[in-house]
Amino acid sequence: MDATYLDYAATTPLREEVAAAMAPFASATFGNPSSVHRWGRAAYAALEAARAEAAEALGAKPAEIHFVRGGTESDNLALLGWCDAHAAGTAHPTLAISAVEHHAVLEAAESAGNRGAARVVVLPVSPDGEVDLDRVRLAVEKKPALVSVMWVNNETGMILPVPEIAAVVVAAGGTMHTDAAQTLGKVAVDVRDVPVHLLSATGHKLHGPKGTGLLFVREGTRLSPILHGGGQERGLRPGTQDVAGAVGLARALRLAVEERPLEAARLTGLRDRLASALPAAVPGLRINAGGAPRAPHVLSVGIPGVKDGGALLMALDIEGIAVSGGSACLSGAAKRSHVMAALYGAEDPYAAVRFSFGRATEPRDIDRAVEATARVAARLRTA
Amino acid sequence: MSRILVAMSGGVDSSVAAALLAEAGHDVVGVTMKTFCYSETPAQSKTCCGLDGITDAKRVADAIGIPHYVFDVEEDFTRDVIDDFVREYAQGRTPNPCVRCNGNTKFRDLMARGRALGCERIASGHYVRIEHTSRGSTLLRGGDAQKDQAYFLWGLPADLLPRLMFPVGELTKSEVRARARDLGLVTADKPESQEICFVPSGDYKDLLKKRLGTHPALEPGSVVRRSGEVVGEHRGYAGFTVGQRKGLGGGFAEPLFVLEVRPETKEVVVGTHDELLQDEVVIGEANWHGAPPPAGSSLEVQLRHRASPVRATIESLGAQVTLVLDEPRAAVTPGQSAVLFDGDRLVGGGRIAAAARRAARKHSNLSPS
Repeated sequence: MDATYLDYAATTPLREEVAAAMAPFASATFGNPSSVHRWGRAAYAALEAARAEAAEALGAKPAEIHFVRGGTESDNLALLGWCDAHAAGTAHPTLAISAVEHHAVLEAAESAGNRGAARVVVLPVSPDGEVDLDRVRLAVEKKPALVSVMWVNNETGMILPVPEIAAVVVAAGGTMHTDAAQTLGKVAVDVRDVPVHLLSATGHKLHGPKGTGLLFVREGTRLSPILHGGGQERGLRPGTQDVAGAVGLARALRLAVEERPLEAARLTGLRDRLASALPAAVPGLRINAGGAPRAPHVLSVGIPGVKDGGALLMALDIEGIAVSGGSACLSGAAKRSHVMAALYGAEDPYAAVRFSFGRATEPRDIDRAVEATARVAARLRTA
Repeated sequence: MSRILVAMSGGVDSSVAAALLAEAGHDVVGVTMKTFCYSETPAQSKTCCGLDGITDAKRVADAIGIPHYVFDVEEDFTRDVIDDFVREYAQGRTPNPCVRCNGNTKFRDLMARGRALGCERIASGHYVRIEHTSRGSTLLRGGDAQKDQAYFLWGLPADLLPRLMFPVGELTKSEVRARARDLGLVTADKPESQEICFVPSGDYKDLLKKRLGTHPALEPGSVVRRSGEVVGEHRGYAGFTVGQRKGLGGGFAEPLFVLEVRPETKEVVVGTHDELLQDEVVIGEANWHGAPPPAGSSLEVQLRHRASPVRATIESLGAQVTLVLDEPRAAVTPGQSAVLFDGDRLVGGGRIAAAARRAARKHSNLSPS
């Protein structure tokens, strides 16, 4: 059966240009970038070229880019590394996170809270994407304080007011982190314009390689490593670098940022095509975070009268439509989404479906998704 | 052709069941039920998503080219099976959670959720057979007498039977393994699961302690004879089942067995093997796969998994069903199932509520208790 992939917010296929850029570093240019000899030098040169490429795409300095092994690691390094670096004082550092963060931030904060490394504050987010700036101000009153708010929410595509929050945090003398995994290439990001101290990204959401990530650390931001070993990545991420991965991540990032104006407009068209067709096809359907500014590559909808959101995704898969609901765990057993609960309450009677689009998505994919969703939702309401 | 949902535990039997259906060209969807977590703390429960059974089922589904999904039924399973298991032990009975799961949770949930996936039939890897005729569907013992699992399925709602398929029911275990090897399934040589799935350590008392906290069932009490004579002490009646010999201590003139557990006095009653024999069995929660048999019917009843059946007469049917065995049987245990068969045909069953020895049975030369 023809299958339609509409789950680009989960992950994306590697772009050919990216694969080509990576290829030499898996074979001929295999050296360890820390080695003295020519193999090492060649790898080092490639690694640093990648760092410069990534930095330029973000408006950062190369020395501010740290390659890590994925978005989750980047978030953990930002939160836990910041806590460790600020553990010396007597006062508990404050970690303020939004209620809709990815598990990588949520669980890292919880872990810091549980072992007494930080006081954790959760900032509510409205379905319209609003975060109360007074609450942010209050949260960072006691120093040291780190605020972590994602730029684009992975489940709903909602854009959070990170520039505004960052301005408040900086003015109050706090530190600002943002998880930008779903943001780069979709929303314009330039760290020269937005005063975040820490920014996390990953390659595999950008048609880059899986298992790659970076952490932007603004000059002067104190951070400790969370892994211990050699001094790679300015001591923040020990371990021999994945040169091919870094090259792939940097290239995917640069291409995504360069192509963003056109591609974002195209994706917005696809998203809006779906957003206008679905409510007619599925009675009572809700556009999740419909009143919020939203990223172009995600449309999340709530389907009423369906008790089992997991079954909805499975039924859509059988129909050939690959989508997600809330975050899925390893086995694929659907869990209630903390994001939906934060926006609509724990008893929200809608089952969430996330459609997300990428480079290969075309209008007919959207039309197929509409038809299948209408069929499946009708069946589930009667089941 | 309608779509079939196959319940895949990750074991070899359900792997082959799925493979046989897929091979026959059916539209098959594999499902593994996530029933419980080894860990009870929420923070660790996420790691349960990687339970071996789920991983194996996914690998098999991928190999035979069918979709596979996980149904999270933890809430239902905890309420219907684990809570019941704990409650039964607390009340001095010996539950059979597999019966409970098959009858109350597994097939009911699978059907309900399967419909959402467009599945009108359910298949599993049980060693039982099923005959579908225009007059109804009949569950039969499996082709492999050693592996027959009909005992566990008496609780299936009758209206589900027409929707069930048991693709390995005619096969022997060794045939199933051979098929799995031919197909190159990763589960071909996977060992049998023996213990209760939610008690992986095999020690159910740990689970009781965790769930009950302090409870009379876990407190010391007396070991007594029927006469009332105290012959010892025990460390919690939840550790005893009717017929058990272990754990009573020694030093008795003759071997003693648990005859009865009395939760109200925390007493464990012991006696000789002769005293263990009973021929009147009262069952509750009866479920029939067709019309209930009339009083006076003579059928065969199986009182434990793997026990050989004994002929019995249905004396009365009502809220409870009273059976009279042709020959007394040892260790008829409250909480276990009494399953009625007519030859290979499963007629119905119930939970054993009580058992007794009738006096003055002519073939008995034992003194009544």
